Amino acid sequence: MDLHDAQSWLVEFQSQLSLQFQKMPGSAIFLRYVKSSYQNDPIRSAVELFLFLFAIRYLLAPSYSTQKKSYVTLSDEEVDELVDDWTPEPLVAPQTSFEEAENERIPVIVGPTGPKTKLSSGRTVTNLASFNFYNLIGNETLKEKAIQTLRTYGVGPCGPPGFYGTQDVHMKTESDIAAYLGASACIVYAQAFSTISSVIPAFSKRGDIIVADRAVNYAIRKGIQISRSTVRWYDHNNLEDMQRVLERVVKEQAKKPLTRRFIVTEGLFENVGDMADIPKIIELKLRYKFRLILDETWSFGVLGRTGRGITEHQNVDAAEVDMIIGSLAGPLCAGGGFCAGSQEIVEHQRISAAAYTFSAALPAMLATTASEVLHMLETNSDMLTQVKENIKTMWTQLDPRSDWVHCTSSVENPIMILVLKAEVISGKKLTVSDQEQLLQDVVDESLVNGVLITRLKSMPRAINVTAKDIGWELQPALKVCITSGLSKREIEKAGITIRHAITKVVNKRK
Amino acid sequence: MNDGKKGRRRRSSSLLYQEPPESMEHMSDQSALPNLNADWVNAKGAWTIHIVLIIALKILFDIIPGVSQETSWTLTNITYMFGSYLMFHWVQGVPFEFNAGAYDNLNMWEQIDNGDQYTPAKKFLLIVPILLFLLSTHYTHYDFIYFMINFLAVLGVVIPKLPWSHRLRVGFLSGNPDDR
Repeated sequence: MDLHDAQSWLVEFQSQLSLQFQKMPGSAIFLRYVKSSYQNDPIRSAVELFLFLFAIRYLLAPSYSTQKKSYVTLSDEEVDELVDDWTPEPLVAPQTSFEEAENERIPVIVGPTGPKTKLSSGRTVTNLASFNFYNLIGNETLKEKAIQTLRTYGVGPCGPPGFYGTQDVHMKTESDIAAYLGASACIVYAQAFSTISSVIPAFSKRGDIIVADRAVNYAIRKGIQISRSTVRWYDHNNLEDMQRVLERVVKEQAKKPLTRRFIVTEGLFENVGDMADIPKIIELKLRYKFRLILDETWSFGVLGRTGRGITEHQNVDAAEVDMIIGSLAGPLCAGGGFCAGSQEIVEHQRISAAAYTFSAALPAMLATTASEVLHMLETNSDMLTQVKENIKTMWTQLDPRSDWVHCTSSVENPIMILVLKAEVISGKKLTVSDQEQLLQDVVDESLVNGVLITRLKSMPRAINVTAKDIGWELQPALKVCITSGLSKREIEKAGITIRHAITKVVNKRK
Repeated sequence: MNDGKKGRRRRSSSLLYQEPPESMEHMSDQSALPNLNADWVNAKGAWTIHIVLIIALKILFDIIPGVSQETSWTLTNITYMFGSYLMFHWVQGVPFEFNAGAYDNLNMWEQIDNGDQYTPAKKFLLIVPILLFLLSTHYTHYDFIYFMINFLAVLGVVIPKLPWSHRLRVGFLSGNPDDR
């Protein structure tokens, strides 16, 4: 009987259910759909049903994150404990005794700088520590011109070049530099340092390849780091090694989608002072299909018969170099930097180089000063010969004559980088900090005798980068900057002073 | 300095390959700016446009003379599937220069909602092709040929959307991962 009851209840329930179902809006459509879709094809219907059920399951699933958690969950007590325990590190590390001693004796210049400079101690010393190669700092014509521009244009344009910052003088400076170099176009940046660190990431992106000299300066290193590109280093100024690296890159990339590839090097190296062999590099870059980014910060306005830089010095067409980066701040005594290249290369930077788009434009008077200096260099090659004479004079006093130091700079470079000879370092067992201390003593000693020179002060390596990673170690050095503002006799005298200071200091050291 | 190849080596000649997690540098570049390439799927009207496009496609194929209802539905279906596959699963990276190329190894589906699974946008984007498929099979009157075409098309877009295939690369489809 129970069974019968249950059966009748079930039938009742079923009819109730179908009644309810028919009352539901759209149930007729659903039924028609199911009936027509079955079509005596159970497999296909099963597939459709499965897909439908899968969709329902997907809809109902809770969301979750696929990111790996990179932190530990802490309770409030633990957080409080950690906060209590925390003692902040000083924002600036305390000075080392070496830095303290150096900063204490740092010379302070009173009044304008120049070949002869007055110090706060009241003494007048010979200044061989400024990039004042042509003594343009004291040039009255330039000063007059700058004052005139200042009266017309005011101090700064107060806006980035793409946003009301560009003035006619900037465009004139750009075309002047392009014409001077023999490049088809040029773009002027507001800071020399940030020019190269902004040009590299404007062109080279993640996945692109940069082949760079191990001894390149800090600005280039920063540029490479920002660009996120893959870097391959070659030994400093070793073109055989460069060729090996280029060959390897070409081989590795042979079957892969094409990426942009660049060679990055300097004309005159900031940290070593020597010169790159541009004709050979251009030959290699053409053979292996790379682009060349050449940092001429220290060679533009210095090398060549009329100061056009390393391309003129080594008889290379500037148009062969894809990007020439130069500084208007050092030898030209103006300010800012530039990148010269083809029309496309320059126009690309106007919207995608960070230092150009996001920095206020160069003050107008610096732009006109730069144009004026270029004009002077072009028309008056005596300026350059005077410096070259003075460099030669200084070399004869220092490099072959000194038993302790030798100059790693090329003979055309007005910045003489003097490093201790290898036998001196090994003979006296000098560590890097010993050398720094010794050279600082030399700087102090020459200042006592009336000659202001300086040490090579390079920015530290990037965090987590050791000398082994780069494969090159900066050697502590003296920096002597030659100027045409001094006569041959004065240079000779200064050279003797420096040499004697070196001898005295090194001899004193056991 | 920043050798991007580290940790991106592929196991030799395996057909399936899982994209490895990003380095710190990658992650900081990814979060530097919002990912405009993927964020719009959560914007207003981003869901409606799928429906609108499907209707537009259907109308387009209907007005071509000589196209039967069956063909029209099938064409609508495979056009939508193909287009969405291309957009969500084939193209990798971001067309804008906002994240220094930090998304270069991820397709758009993997960029949506920062790679989270079962988010509302992803649920919607998975349901649309399934419903479209059910509709088109219904209106093609369950013809076997049409059914197979439509079914393969829907599989093509549903499988890459599964959480299982997140960051999964198939060897013959996307090539050697070191290439990219």
